[in-house]
Amino acid sequence: MRLPLPAVPSTGCSDMSTASITVHSLTKSYGDLTALDSFDLAVEQGSIFGLLGPNGAGKTTLIRILTTLMRQSGGDASIEGLDTRHAGRAIRSMIGVVSQENSLDRYLTARENLELHARLHGMERRVYAPRIDELLALMGLSGRQKDFPDTFSGGMQRRLVIARALVHQPVVLFLDEPTTGLDPQSRRAVWEYIRSLAGSMTIFLTTHYLEEAEQLCDRIAIMDHGRLIAIGSTQELKDRLSGATVYEIEFTGEGADRYAGILGAMPCVLDIKRVDNKITVTLECWECLSEIVTALGGAPIRRISLQERTLEDVFISLTGEKVRE
Amino acid sequence: MLRGSLAIWQRDMLILRRSIISELVAVVAYPLTIYLAFGVGMQGYIGLVDGAPYSMFIAPGLITMTAVNAAYNESVWSLWFHRRVQFTIESYRVTPISVSEIVIAKILSGFTHGIIKGCVVGVVIFAITPFRFPLEHLVQYLLFLIPGSAFFSCAGVISGTVMDKPETIGKVEAVLVMPLIFMSGLFFPLSSYPPAVIPWVRALPTTAIFEGARRALVAGEMMPLAALQIWLSALLTFVAAVYIFRRKMSE
Repeated sequence: MRLPLPAVPSTGCSDMSTASITVHSLTKSYGDLTALDSFDLAVEQGSIFGLLGPNGAGKTTLIRILTTLMRQSGGDASIEGLDTRHAGRAIRSMIGVVSQENSLDRYLTARENLELHARLHGMERRVYAPRIDELLALMGLSGRQKDFPDTFSGGMQRRLVIARALVHQPVVLFLDEPTTGLDPQSRRAVWEYIRSLAGSMTIFLTTHYLEEAEQLCDRIAIMDHGRLIAIGSTQELKDRLSGATVYEIEFTGEGADRYAGILGAMPCVLDIKRVDNKITVTLECWECLSEIVTALGGAPIRRISLQERTLEDVFISLTGEKVRE
Repeated sequence: MLRGSLAIWQRDMLILRRSIISELVAVVAYPLTIYLAFGVGMQGYIGLVDGAPYSMFIAPGLITMTAVNAAYNESVWSLWFHRRVQFTIESYRVTPISVSEIVIAKILSGFTHGIIKGCVVGVVIFAITPFRFPLEHLVQYLLFLIPGSAFFSCAGVISGTVMDKPETIGKVEAVLVMPLIFMSGLFFPLSSYPPAVIPWVRALPTTAIFEGARRALVAGEMMPLAALQIWLSALLTFVAAVYIFRRKMSE
């Protein structure tokens, strides 16, 4: 089932004066391909904002424009009130970026990686040395600071990249798929670090892990084909699917097949699926449940349970099930 | 303005310091082998070239070749590796430094590699061979070696910027860089070419480097036009390297 696309989603920040990131009618084209199509967005200061979208939706293009690595074809984007087209250096001095690739220097030790980054930000040794000590301790890497990143696990490398992005105490932190390729333990450790930063800076996160967005983000935007298609808190996004209610009915013995036929013919049933002795029915609204119970009178039922909608349900309903190239 | 360049150059020098012994062994081995094989082994068959024993004739060229090769190789591979493999260029670009600062740092690093390695090969050749030159000739020689290394460092940056595949870099080196070096009077005098070809060969910046450097070091002779040619070539390739790198980064 697909939800109709909202006509014009709100940009997500009620008071624009408190917005850390603002994007207005942002467009980016590569020849005939439009990667961003009149994209609007506002991210509140101090919040953790998640951007979701299938491959090729335009997430990386948006991040590259916001981090001043790329110029837009049209529209405006600003970070803390500074225009990305005209204040690149000033913006880069106040942002931290964790890119998809680790981009660590394998010929420098963990500490030297952070020191180089600090020097590129014009920090003096007396300022950056204690800051690096603090970050290495926070990321649990103090004991490995003289080792080369190649000898680190994927999770440790990721933590080092995050530490590097924090050396100069950024106001806005961009995290582009920060936990891709990590095992569940390392992923949760990275989540903890991100949570610990909440409130001290604005965090802009892209991820393919919907659980990650659900766990971390105050607000989530879903984009596809270069356009913003939904925005809100996790609950607000799930509520968009609340018009339809899904129940799972488990039968004790035979009969699932017969009752699937009966339920499938009812007008209030939007969708029905049967797997073994379980039927999953999607109802028009929860009020239809009484009709279902009546129709199932006398059936050998073990359990009827309401299925909670997940962020993934919302994502799939908005972006479709088709695999993107 | 060049804070970023300095930080990146210092990083590159730290890596060079760490691996200096293995780097120098590798860099000395090649010209020394050529010197022994051609300069000593072939000397009896070749006799005098331009009035000098063959080993004396090729020695300055080998020092110069080491310097420009080192400058080119450091720039091309470093830029390619940092751009395509390690993505460190990307991490530099999200800091408040300009793209020009990054490319200037890489040019400086290639240049420094060239000068250091050329000098080390010069010292080794001076130490273990009978090749000698008056020390006062060094100043004139450096007037060619410095822009020569800068020229090749900039050329390396251009190659490392525009080429995405390592095999292409290898092919360009084999088809363009090495022939330009070898055909510029490194192993034989330019008078060996047919008269009609000589003006074309002289027009090459590599000829200005090798011919000018040899005459400066051996005879203390200054070739102002050749010096001007190589300084101008270095300046032009520097401008081109910065422009091409900036364009590539904006893609």
